Amino acid sequence: MRRLRVGVLIVLVLLMLLVPQLGGDYYVHVFALVFTNVILAASLRPSLTCGQLNIGHSAFMSVGAYASALLAKNLAVPFEVSMLCGALLAAVVGLAIGYPSLRLRGVYFAMVTVAFVEVIRLIAQLWVSLTRGMSGLSGIPKPHLLGVTLATKASQYYLALFLMLLTLLILWKLESSRLGLIWKSIGMADNLAQSLGVNIANHKLLAFMLGCFFAGVAGAFYAHFIRFLFPPEFGFLMATNILVYNYVGGRGHFAGPIVGAAFLSLLSEPFRGSAYETIFFSIAMLLTILFLPGGLITLPGKLAELRWWKSASAHSPSPAA
Amino acid sequence: MTPDLLIQSTIIGLSIGSIYILMALGLTLMFGMMHIINFAHGAIYMLGAFAVYYIFSQWGAPYFAAFVLAMLLLGTFGYLVERSIYRPIKGGIEPTLVALLALTTFLQAAGYPVFGQLDKHVPPVFQGTRNVLGVMISVERLMIIPMAGALVVGLYLFINKTKMGAAMRAIEQDKEAAALQGVNVHVVNGLAFAIGFALAAASGALMAPIFKLDPMMGEQPLLKAFIIIILGGLGSIPGAILGGLMLGLIDSIVATALGAEPAFLLSFVFIILLLLFKPTGLFGYAPP
Repeated sequence: MRRLRVGVLIVLVLLMLLVPQLGGDYYVHVFALVFTNVILAASLRPSLTCGQLNIGHSAFMSVGAYASALLAKNLAVPFEVSMLCGALLAAVVGLAIGYPSLRLRGVYFAMVTVAFVEVIRLIAQLWVSLTRGMSGLSGIPKPHLLGVTLATKASQYYLALFLMLLTLLILWKLESSRLGLIWKSIGMADNLAQSLGVNIANHKLLAFMLGCFFAGVAGAFYAHFIRFLFPPEFGFLMATNILVYNYVGGRGHFAGPIVGAAFLSLLSEPFRGSAYETIFFSIAMLLTILFLPGGLITLPGKLAELRWWKSASAHSPSPAA
Repeated sequence: MTPDLLIQSTIIGLSIGSIYILMALGLTLMFGMMHIINFAHGAIYMLGAFAVYYIFSQWGAPYFAAFVLAMLLLGTFGYLVERSIYRPIKGGIEPTLVALLALTTFLQAAGYPVFGQLDKHVPPVFQGTRNVLGVMISVERLMIIPMAGALVVGLYLFINKTKMGAAMRAIEQDKEAAALQGVNVHVVNGLAFAIGFALAAASGALMAPIFKLDPMMGEQPLLKAFIIIILGGLGSIPGAILGGLMLGLIDSIVATALGAEPAFLLSFVFIILLLLFKPTGLFGYAPP
């Protein structure tokens, strides 16, 4: 089983490596954005595992995006440095928001993160001398990495793929370490975890800041890939979408947010940007919560169970006989 | 700021504050009983305003009939949401929050194709201005204060003087014990949903003649209501009333002096500081 999974993973990565060769610029563009969404969804997971509902993830993406774009544009900083600075700034902002609100019940944190999306949007909108406000920030340089400018869409696609795989690897290693176990214990029963000597406030904060850092990474890539930033883009809708990826994909396994982000972003591609995209997302979310609480990743198991149950009932003698 | 301007923005602040209070009361009531935050509150506010737009300005019914009908319709909707979303999830707080969030984005996004892309306007209900303490205030804004006040008093009497209100207070204190005493927890929770939704609809219906209507109009009042219930302490009804009045005044006076956006940023910084130093809210209410 394990060997099968590794095999499937290798085939998937090979396929993703081949996308620029097989498809045109359109597919390259779409998949690079899918990878950004996967980073965003997976980076929300540590916080959710701790039982903390972060409904403002897009705000931290926005911080990373603006910081990296402004550093590269105004100071000609190379991408690897500007991205790290953007991600670190996002993590520091996360500290400032998370420290006061994470010590309390989860709903305080949820409300503060919702309001924070609006705060970041307003700052980006009002600080016109820095961010150009509602005219939008344009002319962001293409990613300039290790002395080379990634001019083609295909090379930027590989950068997105690399960033996604690296992020997933780091998050996966953390989740399967002792730290991941602590997060899970906090999410299941924080009182019990605390009684066993876990500093729950610090661990919640750490998980949250980690998520903010990678949201900043996703934002930095997005800024240099789209090369235009507009404050309302990183609003409430994007924040709920990131949450939807996690729930529709499934909360129980590391693959959940990845499946959710890939599935929903590809499926909603035909109506991207219209009101119907949001309608589709919200219906998918409601249906999943009501009828498939474990998310898409539990679907194969459920189907197998159903088949097993059918064949079992077919073989066993019926009570009437 | 001249004294006249100060008086004027204080009175405007009181009328905005009474809208915020109606929003925050429903949120805090539902939180106290079910420990959930109704993220759909802003969308219900929007629907309340649109109900007035259709019933009053399109179909020509009297404003008060439209107002009451909006509350009844959305109150019923609230009860149905309890039946179809809250109850099947069986008390899971996080899934409920996420489902309510999904309901919000659905109502907002569906608003564009259903209500149309253009902003809607409701014609004024009360004409003219009135002299209050030497400044002229439009009657439209003044009338919000007694109408919201009547609803607040009505809610207070309902919660404290009726049997259903006693059942609500019992659930707030201890759900299991209340159920053991014969309180039908499902029905009473449904009632709390209905009251919360009806109050949000009332706020939207009161604001409809003053602001332009669009599907996203509920976002700002929702965030304001969040700030108020953090200020007043989650689950505290007096806290929601005092917090609402405070935020209304801050909003109106600071917004007159500096602009609406800086006023919002200031209030956010304020609640972050409050959470840092006095996490139980300004009035020291300890959440259950």
